[in-house]
Amino acid sequence: MSVAPIPPHIVAVERPRESLMTYYVLQAIAANVAFPFVFPYLYFRYHTMRYRFDTDGIHMKWGIIFRREVLLNYSRIQDIHLRSNLIERWLGLARIEIQTASGSASANMMLEGMDDPEGMRDFLYSRMRGTQEEKAGNAADPLAAVLHEVAGELREIRALVEGTRA
Amino acid sequence: MTIAEWAKDVVLRLARVPAEPQVPEGAEESVRVFNAGRNYFAWRLIVWGLGNAAIALGLLVVFGLSFIPKLPSLVRTIWWVVEAGAAGLFVASIPITYFLQRLNYEMRWYIVTDRSLRIRSGVVWLQEMTMTFANIQEIRVNANPIERLLGLANVEVRSAGGGGSAEHGTSSSGHVAKFAGVDNAEAIRDLLVGRLRVYRDSGLGERTVEAQEPLALSAAREVLQETRALRNSFAGGLRSTQRG
Repeated sequence: MSVAPIPPHIVAVERPRESLMTYYVLQAIAANVAFPFVFPYLYFRYHTMRYRFDTDGIHMKWGIIFRREVLLNYSRIQDIHLRSNLIERWLGLARIEIQTASGSASANMMLEGMDDPEGMRDFLYSRMRGTQEEKAGNAADPLAAVLHEVAGELREIRALVEGTRA
Repeated sequence: MTIAEWAKDVVLRLARVPAEPQVPEGAEESVRVFNAGRNYFAWRLIVWGLGNAAIALGLLVVFGLSFIPKLPSLVRTIWWVVEAGAAGLFVASIPITYFLQRLNYEMRWYIVTDRSLRIRSGVVWLQEMTMTFANIQEIRVNANPIERLLGLANVEVRSAGGGGSAEHGTSSSGHVAKFAGVDNAEAIRDLLVGRLRVYRDSGLGERTVEAQEPLALSAAREVLQETRALRNSFAGGLRSTQRG
C-alpha cells in the first residue's frame, strides 16, 4: 500500500478541543455522589491528553498517576464508530471509537474532542485496510507483465519465421 | 406539512441530528442504501409496549402494597403522593417515547458500497459504524418467531475480535454491524456475499495469492499459445522445405 502523506489538518491535531472539558464537568456532575472521584480523573485526563498522527498510526496518551499510552496502526483498524449523545452534539463533540481485532468488545481507542469528527472519520476510513488495496493489488503484477513481454517476443519471432518463408 | 413532520423537524434540529449519513468512499454506482422494513415499526412498538406494560404492572404492585394493614396513615399518604407522581411521569412519557420509537424507525440507514458498509441509527444516542469488506469475518441472518411473522430479519456482519456481549445478541459489541429489521434479508445477504467474493483475503488468516493469479495465469496462457503457434509455423516451414 502506498504511503500517502498525512493531511496537515490531521497532523495539527494534538489536543482535544476545549468543549470536551465542559462535557467532562457535566459528566462529573451527573455522577453526583462520585463527583470528588470522577472530576479529578476527568480533569487530568483532559489536561494530559495528547494525540499524534503519523504515517503509520495514532499515538494517544493521557493520565498523571497511571500514565497510559496507546499506539494503533491505521491498517489494523477493524471498524470505526462515530457516536454521540444529545449533550455531546450540543457541544459540537462526538467520539470516534476505533477497534482492532483484539479480544475486547469495547473500543481499543477512543478519540474525543476532535474539531471535525466526520473529517477525522473519513481520514481514518481512507487508511483502513480494504479501501485502497484493490487499486494497489491489481495495477502492477510483475509476473504478468513479464509473461506478456515474453508472449510479445514469441509473436515477433513467429512473424520473422513466417516472413522469411513467404 | 403535518404535525408529525413538523414535530420531527423540530426534534431533529433540537437534538442536532444530521439529516442523512454520508456515503463512504467507493465506486458511486455500487452504492446501495437500505432502510428498515415497513413492519419494523410494528416490532419496535411490540417491544416498547411490553416494556411499558411491565412498568405499569410495577406501579400497580407498588400501589397494592400500600394497602398493607397497620401502616401509619402519614406513611400511606406519602406513599400515594410518590406513587401518583411516578404514574404521572409514566403517562407523560408515553407519547414522547412513542414518538422516539417512530423516529428511530425512520432514522435508520444501512449503506453498502463496493468496499465498505456503514450503519447509522439512533436519534438521541446517535451511532454510526463503518467497516470495510476486507475486514469482514462472517455474516449471519437471524429472526425470532415474531419477527418472522412480520416478515423481518436481522443481518449481522461481524469483523474480527471478541465481544463479551455477543452472546446476548445485542449489537452493543463493537464488532457487529447489524442491519436490524430488514424485510429483504436474502437480497442483502446475497449482495454482501457477492461483494465479499472480490476480497479473497478478507478477514484474518493466511493470505491467499489466488486473487492475483488469474492475471499471471492468463499471461502464461498467452505465452503457451504463442509458443504453440510458433512451433506450428516452424513445422509448416520444414514440411514445405522437405517437399520442395
